Amino acid sequence: MIFRNYRALIGRSLNFNMNRKEDFTKAILDYQGLLYKISLLYTDNPQDREDLYQEMVYQLWKSYDSFKAFSKLSTWMYRVALNTAIYQLKKSKRTVATTAIDPNLQPMAEYSDQADEENLKRIYNQIQKLNLLEKGIILLYLEGKSHEEISEIIGLSKSNVGTRISRIKEKLKKQLTTK
Amino acid sequence: MELEELKKLWEGMNGKLQQQEQLTRNLLEEVTEHKYHSKLHKIKTSELIGSGICFLGAVFLILNFSKIEPLAEQIFAILAIVLLLSLPVISLMSLKAMQQMPVSTKTYLETLTGFRKSRIRFIKFQRLTVSLGLFLPVIAIPVLAAIKGIDLSETEHFWTLTFPIGIIAFLGFAFWVLRSYTKTLKAAEQLLSEIKN
Repeated sequence: MIFRNYRALIGRSLNFNMNRKEDFTKAILDYQGLLYKISLLYTDNPQDREDLYQEMVYQLWKSYDSFKAFSKLSTWMYRVALNTAIYQLKKSKRTVATTAIDPNLQPMAEYSDQADEENLKRIYNQIQKLNLLEKGIILLYLEGKSHEEISEIIGLSKSNVGTRISRIKEKLKKQLTTK
Repeated sequence: MELEELKKLWEGMNGKLQQQEQLTRNLLEEVTEHKYHSKLHKIKTSELIGSGICFLGAVFLILNFSKIEPLAEQIFAILAIVLLLSLPVISLMSLKAMQQMPVSTKTYLETLTGFRKSRIRFIKFQRLTVSLGLFLPVIAIPVLAAIKGIDLSETEHFWTLTFPIGIIAFLGFAFWVLRSYTKTLKAAEQLLSEIKN
């Protein structure tokens, strides 16, 4: 009897772990584009980029159970990924200034339109020049997040998010038109 | 090109990153099977070796303390022991504190502010350790000479020329180090003020 209960318990635990793994894998594959974009924006060389990507996946797995406290899976994912990017800076960056563009930047995606790819590289270069707070906010804005969700991830009030976005947009617009 | 158009282009990137999928799958396998080890939690080997050397130096001075006779050298030896024991301990403690990573409980802004503050603390501490680290060889010479039984007062021009030159060189070098750290510190503080505005 005890043996049968024990076996059932192990079976349930194995099932739980399998489901957990499957759910996590699905979540990461759904959001791998986001992780890739964060690793592009927060590093300045391929080695750091790869390290950050791996570290984000690892930290997400480690804190996977904590996502239940969030209203959305994506909110939790953005928060963990962006915070990990900051912690990675402690390891890889010795200076605080924003990064210079990597001249050997790989194409960010296979774009059929050359102009699209060029535009994307241009905006990527300009975002690299923003400070870390602005970078986080604009990344979420470009990802199409609402002010409410940006506010939850970043920790600013909704109105402050709006003000900051307007300021960053102005700044980017100026940078993009002068270049 | 308008930002709104770029937003669409940016969002469209997700679906086009297919080449990333196999890499991600391999990584997921490693992470979920506990084969991946975080690089962020490691204290660098060089830092551990450095601390070990400092402790060994302190032990050496303590064991040979009875051989050091003149009062000035004894004071230098005590100073050197204190520095050799305290600096690596503080350094390892501050590194440990920097490794606390509440990735899901803190907001981005809290993490960023914490990062900047700990960075400022770390730069200030580094400034102190580098200065004191430079001071160490200056005081170590008379101490080591005393252990070896060499009387420096008999060495020609040691106290009148060599030692003062050593002190001046240390002060010059320390000034140069402090100046370069001040630049980094200013950059960190400026970013902190940008966050607050």
